[in-house]
Parts: sequence; structure tokens; C-alpha cells
Amino acid sequence: MTLYLLCFALFLVGLYGVIAKRDLIKIILSMGILGYAVNLFLVLVGYRQGGHYPILEGQNPVPVMVDPLPQALVLTSIVIELGSTAMVVALAIRLFQKYQTFDISKIRRLRG
Amino acid sequence: MNSGMTIIVKTVTRITVWMILLYGIYIILHGHLTPGGGFAGGVVLALALLNVLLAYGRSYTFQWLRLPWLEHVESASALLYLVVGLLGILWGGTFFYNFISKGSLYHLLSAGTLPILNIIIGLKVALSLFLVVWVLAEARTSKGDAA
Repeated sequence: MTLYLLCFALFLVGLYGVIAKRDLIKIILSMGILGYAVNLFLVLVGYRQGGHYPILEGQNPVPVMVDPLPQALVLTSIVIELGSTAMVVALAIRLFQKYQTFDISKIRRLRG
Repeated sequence: MNSGMTIIVKTVTRITVWMILLYGIYIILHGHLTPGGGFAGGVVLALALLNVLLAYGRSYTFQWLRLPWLEHVESASALLYLVVGLLGILWGGTFFYNFISKGSLYHLLSAGTLPILNIIIGLKVALSLFLVVWVLAEARTSKGDAA
């Protein structure tokens, strides 16, 4: 239970960054932290207390294994997060070209 | 501004980049034996190249890596992956059939086509990640600065 609470705390750190920060780079980093918290939660769901990693070693099977399915799916999630981060960074660069600043309170002039 | 960082950073990068590349290659080649594999090793390779880009600047990295050639390798690796899958149809009857001898368990040269696929994935991930960062670094950040 403690692990889940710590994971939720990490999620809240990311959420605080996205809501309260003004710098675009800090917002992008906070989005990364949000994603890591969600990935950590998904891996934690598949965790078994005292479990072994799910790789066959030797002839005798391991009695308690962690669930390999969330880990395999989280790998896909990490890749998607990477792609979305790259897109957000590209948008931030375009905004910087237009406005010469990363402060979102100064990016408010509507122009084509 | 394109000449890169100080000589300390350049020297450290020159020494460490080969170790990082070696570690990435190790993770890729042991992908069918230990945790890791094509994606994780490819990310390590991409970070090694990224180190060079940060330390030495854009123009030097462009000459050192011969970038247009790397772009072709990056595009071809997806095709290579498909070719391995189609060879499975040719020899085994199903897509991605493991048509090479499996070898003995826990040996480096085993598991049939899996090491080959790991190498192709590692190449693809490393080059595409590096090219994404490269394209972002090529962007002009101010009006007078022609990258």
C-alpha cells in the first residue's frame, strides 16, 4: 500500500508542475513525471511480494513470478510517451520562434 | 556557437563515448538472454551519439557521422525487419517463423532469429531517436540565427 501511495505522490508532483509552473520546459518535464508515475503504477499492479523476474533459469520453475504482461505493455507506453514528448518539444520550439520566450503568461498574442 | 563545449567536456566525451556504445551493443547482443534487448540497447546507443552532438556541436557531428547515409540505414532497418519476417514464410510457413537452428539454451549464439531481430530493432531505435533530437536541434531559435 505504501508503494501505491508513493506512486500517487509522484503523480501529484507531476500534476502540480503541469498546473502551477509557467515555464514551458518545466511543464514538459512535469508531463514526463506524470507519465513515469502512471508507468510505475502499471508495473506495481503486476508486482508480487518477493516475486522473481519472469525468466526461466535452469530446469526447475520459479514458484513466485511477477506478472510480465504489464511490463511488456509499459514498454509500449514508454515509446508512445517518447513520441508525444518529441512532438511537445517541437511545438515548444515553434512557440519560441514566434514569441522568443518560454513563459506561458507572455504567450497570449493571437497572430497567424 | 556551433563549435561545442569546452575542452574538458570534449576530452571526457572522446573517452566515454566508446564505452557507452560498447555497453549498448552488449545489451543488444544479450537481448535474448538477459533483461534488455533491442529497444533498451538502442536507447543507450542513441544517448552516446547525443553526447557527441552536445559536446562537439552540429557541424562536427554531421561530418563524423555522415548523416545522410545514417538516414538511409534508419529507413532500411524497418525493411530488413520485414525481410526477416518474410523469410519465415518462405522456410517455415508462418510470418516470423524461427527458421534458424535454436542452438542450446543460455548460449550467446542461440534462439534462432531473435538476436538478428534484436540487432535490427537496436539499429532502428538508436538512429531514429538520434535523428529526432537532431531535427529538433536544427530548428532556428531566433530570427537572425540561421542554424
